[in-house]
Amino acid sequence: MDIPIIETDILVIGGGSAGLSFAIHCADLIRKHNEDPAVKIKIPDRIMLLEKGSSLGNHSLSGAVINPEVFRELLPEVKSEEYPFETPVLEDDTMFLTKSSAIKLPFHPPYMSNQGNSIVILGKLIRWLGEIAEKKGVQVFSGFSAQELLIEGGKLAGIRTNASGVDADGKPLLNYQPPTEVRAKIFIMAEGTRGHLTRNLIQALQLDKGCNPQVYSLGVKEVWEIPQGAFNKGRVVHSLGYPLNFDQFGGGFIYGLSDTMIALGYVAGLDIKDPTFDTHRALQVYKKHPFVQGIIKNGKLIRYGAKTIPEGGLFALPQLYHDGVMIIGDSAGFLAMPSLKGVHLSIRSAMLAARAAMEALKNKDYSCAQLSAYEKSFKDSSVYRELYPVRNFRQAFKDNLILGALQFGTQLVTGGRGFSFSGRLTMNEDRAHCQKIEELHGKVFGGNEPFDKCATFDKETEIFFSGTKHDEEQPSHIHVQSVEKCATCIETYGGPCQYFCPAQVFEISTDSKTGKKGLKLHPSNCVHCKTCDIKDPYRNVIWETPYGGDGPEYENM
Amino acid sequence: MAAMARNMRICEDCMGLKVISLMKQVPLTSQMRMGADGLMDRTKVKSIINVDCCFGLEQGLQIKRSVADVELIVVSMGPPSFEQSLRQAVSLGYDRAVLLSDRRLGGSDTFSTGMAIAKLLQSQILSQNPDDKFIVFAGRQTSDGDTAHVPSQVAENLSIPQVTFAVSIDYSPTHLVVKRMIEGGYQTLKVPMPCVISVAPTAIHMRRSTLAGAIKSRKVQIQTYTLDQIGVDPAQVGLNGSPTSVAKVVNIVHNRPAVTMVDGCNTDDISSHLVKLLDATETLHAVSKGRSEASAAAVPEAPKQDKYPRADFRNGASGIFTWAEVHGSELVRSSVEILNPARKLADELKTKVTTLLIGHNVKGLAARLIALGADEVIVVDEPRLKEYSILPFTSVIEQIVRERRPEIALFGATTSGRELAPRLGSRLGSGVTADCTILKVGEYVNNFSKTIWAPCLEAIRPTYGESKLATIVGFRCPQMATARPGTFERLKADNTRQGKITEFSPVLNDSVFCVEILGIDRKEGGDQGLFTADVIIAGGRPCGEIDDFKLIKELVAALEEKGINAAWGATRQAVDHGYAPYSRQIGQTGKTVRPKVYIAVAVSGAIQHVSGMKESGKIIAINQDQHSNIYSCADYGIVGQYQEMLPALIKKVRSGFTFGLKAVK
Repeated sequence: MDIPIIETDILVIGGGSAGLSFAIHCADLIRKHNEDPAVKIKIPDRIMLLEKGSSLGNHSLSGAVINPEVFRELLPEVKSEEYPFETPVLEDDTMFLTKSSAIKLPFHPPYMSNQGNSIVILGKLIRWLGEIAEKKGVQVFSGFSAQELLIEGGKLAGIRTNASGVDADGKPLLNYQPPTEVRAKIFIMAEGTRGHLTRNLIQALQLDKGCNPQVYSLGVKEVWEIPQGAFNKGRVVHSLGYPLNFDQFGGGFIYGLSDTMIALGYVAGLDIKDPTFDTHRALQVYKKHPFVQGIIKNGKLIRYGAKTIPEGGLFALPQLYHDGVMIIGDSAGFLAMPSLKGVHLSIRSAMLAARAAMEALKNKDYSCAQLSAYEKSFKDSSVYRELYPVRNFRQAFKDNLILGALQFGTQLVTGGRGFSFSGRLTMNEDRAHCQKIEELHGKVFGGNEPFDKCATFDKETEIFFSGTKHDEEQPSHIHVQSVEKCATCIETYGGPCQYFCPAQVFEISTDSKTGKKGLKLHPSNCVHCKTCDIKDPYRNVIWETPYGGDGPEYENM
Repeated sequence: MAAMARNMRICEDCMGLKVISLMKQVPLTSQMRMGADGLMDRTKVKSIINVDCCFGLEQGLQIKRSVADVELIVVSMGPPSFEQSLRQAVSLGYDRAVLLSDRRLGGSDTFSTGMAIAKLLQSQILSQNPDDKFIVFAGRQTSDGDTAHVPSQVAENLSIPQVTFAVSIDYSPTHLVVKRMIEGGYQTLKVPMPCVISVAPTAIHMRRSTLAGAIKSRKVQIQTYTLDQIGVDPAQVGLNGSPTSVAKVVNIVHNRPAVTMVDGCNTDDISSHLVKLLDATETLHAVSKGRSEASAAAVPEAPKQDKYPRADFRNGASGIFTWAEVHGSELVRSSVEILNPARKLADELKTKVTTLLIGHNVKGLAARLIALGADEVIVVDEPRLKEYSILPFTSVIEQIVRERRPEIALFGATTSGRELAPRLGSRLGSGVTADCTILKVGEYVNNFSKTIWAPCLEAIRPTYGESKLATIVGFRCPQMATARPGTFERLKADNTRQGKITEFSPVLNDSVFCVEILGIDRKEGGDQGLFTADVIIAGGRPCGEIDDFKLIKELVAALEEKGINAAWGATRQAVDHGYAPYSRQIGQTGKTVRPKVYIAVAVSGAIQHVSGMKESGKIIAINQDQHSNIYSCADYGIVGQYQEMLPALIKKVRSGFTFGLKAVK
């Protein structure tokens, strides 16, 4: 069957905060230009945006506490009362948890204060941005995933969506539908964290030459309905410590969305060495802590989700442009540490890219040289000024939280330089950190205690609350490269995938006859966090998009 | 006229094939709400293409594989918001989208809907040439109305053949070969074109949109028509033009006591605990407590109203007709069941029950029908009527009805009854109420005409996801209804009953035999067992996915070994995914069962399923989700994986545990 080819001026891949902000700002800039009576030649203005979630916001997940300032820049015509925020931050505490106690720190760690910020539900915010973008003439198509890059002559020339109606072996079925090819003058990579096309693009065009490898944390989040009075609306709590040890990077958060609803989650670095470390389990243990129990007792789980967070900082940012393409938001790794805030930076990076795109359209020049204006403007921007002082933050914590705090302390004094001669601390990929299973002597992170199904839930139950669904009739979107490597991994590391995956996509099963252990995949459980693509010790798992519209239905996460 | 048309025939090959897919947009089942007026409130909820219609749409697209230049037209009737689904159909590959939208259509019943859609097709889509080739596809039924009537009624209004409940369709330039579900198996038919095919959800899944298709669908013009444009008199549609009306709607009250959760530290422990609990209760009886209470609570006696004069709208029509469906040489159970309400209605109305027995060499069954409650059996014996087929059977019943003028006609809601009744209704000008669970004599206060219509048939059916009972009345004789299989108990055969056996010779044109029956496959004969089993073990979709109902069947076998009459069933989800045959489906549009013990395994407790089993004696639910809805209608609940629980129960059964039942063998 022929593959239909669609042409547009700009194709934005991903309908999150970055992609939509890009589309909104770019549409604004083009319209402003074209409406100017002095301008003779109009700029082409077709902006198309693809989102793999079944509708906008369905794959969006964040804490989230954000700085509203950036919306005044993106949407100067919109009054701040109209922002779809839940509540301003009214109380802001940082706690230190031991197994049984919670100590409130009398101060906020540097860069951690939330004064003037608001608590938002990212999905809601995204739907709001989507409506604005559509009003501005952006053609938004949700439920379609860009699956494949078409690189021609060393340049990105197009993308293809998934074919559908294909069986598990890739054979077309009776309801087969061909992919659609999209060609554009400029492509915007806004896939979010660990976007698989961005990953392929960076690899193919070597855009990360000389960069630190990107490193990530995995955040696992739940939304709970709680009795009134258990946790105040507008209250923000961050916690350090329990159930993690001092040599591990991570912590918990609880945000009061309303009088009866909270967002609750746990974030931990994927560089944790323990191969049995399981962020979902960490959240369950966290929920059993007396401090958290006091809040969620008599409450009800509403939603579950997980997402990775790019934490590599400034030195892990790849080259942000190439011929006909720019990378924005989490796909590039714009994230402020240590507050783990990325929404405002994704919007700012998108706006910078939009300006560069407008200039490129005006000059009819989509080359690398023309688009490098984006990266240049970034270096003069507030985004850079925000990332520079903390450029070595995450690296400092790579081995040990206490030593890291010391190192970070030095960085504060030295303007971010810390104990280093070059001014740049290096980092290894997350997958490089993995202990051998034998070193654990049978110990499993968090123990094997069964879940009580009141406060704590197994992954299978949690997946239900993510609303995730995938067409069973399709090739697995999680590609395990080699069965042999799997066997080695199970033997050496005990199959860490069964622990790190927050959605039970990976099951290590034992053959009842041979007693041999092997991997069983459940791709339809996937919540698209992409931890497997990051953490697998042998780079044995490659994540790609399933059919468009498949995946979690977060709605309000 | 026909001859003239034939002479004027233009080169057939130049006339492209048209495929028309009827599609309805429905609210997501989980979000269904009903307005204060008893009608569906479609304003607030997320809408989707009706699931069965998706399969119809896909069949239309499949024709394109054989006929590249086929014109694909998607057609719907409803408010302008249906545009969303019409565009989705275009994004899949449909060329044209047509919507009949007119406020005056609001409240139309299936009779009026079928007529209006047929008029829309005739006036806007089909040419005047009677040799035009076209196929109309539709979904089996909609999730909000759940009648399965409209496809039959469109076919009748277009005077073309039909196949309903189709599971596979093979196209050839001269005809279609269609396999359709029948009680306990499948029938394969060769159908000429033009025709209407309604598609069941076991066919090919609807394809996904392509991006290119989605882009095209945003630009397409939806052709919208009003009643005036298609030449339909507004007096014939809507609330007042429809032959049936919703007389009242009441909530269904469930009276089962709260569930007892059975727990323990392992599966063995849990099953022992269950054994103890069940042994503690007395030996179970077949009498179902839940049932009588639900019906009593749901149907309060109508207060007497005499503010208007009473009017008898029957105009001399009298008598109750029932149709006796025959499979092979056996009476279909549901045809025997409807003799029960027919008998009661006839006694109350002081009239007679007349049963139509149509087939070949079936006369021997007449005496049995009389023993089971009929006063008269009209036998039509004709070799060409050996197997049921919609067109000749409609014609035969039409002829008898026109001669005898009954006031009421009842059918079992089998796949045959559910297509025969509406087609006949459209031909006779009568409304039909689908899938009834209560049939009684009542009256209707008509505030428009200021009269009380009495006596009338109150056809009562669960609706809106089984949460309500709607009473439907119609004022054109015969008042027609189909009755849900398993709802009415069969009357005890009384061989001393006297009745009349009359033979009837219909006039049958060759044209009614244009659909050829190629074969009948009755592999699954076990469906009747569901009605007689004392223990039913029903599995949800996971049971199909995980072990293809293996453990469930093992438990059935273990019980049977102990002399317990056990059978297995399945949910609509499991059936729709092909894990179990339709004859095993329990719940709305499937069967209503009432065993002494009902074990729901990995059943989520969707209201559609619960409606078909809630009258069971003891209900035991096994589900891994502690919040599952199934526990709200169960007596005993076990939270756990069924793969672990069932082996433990099987072990208990093998060592003598029979859920408190006594062996019958």
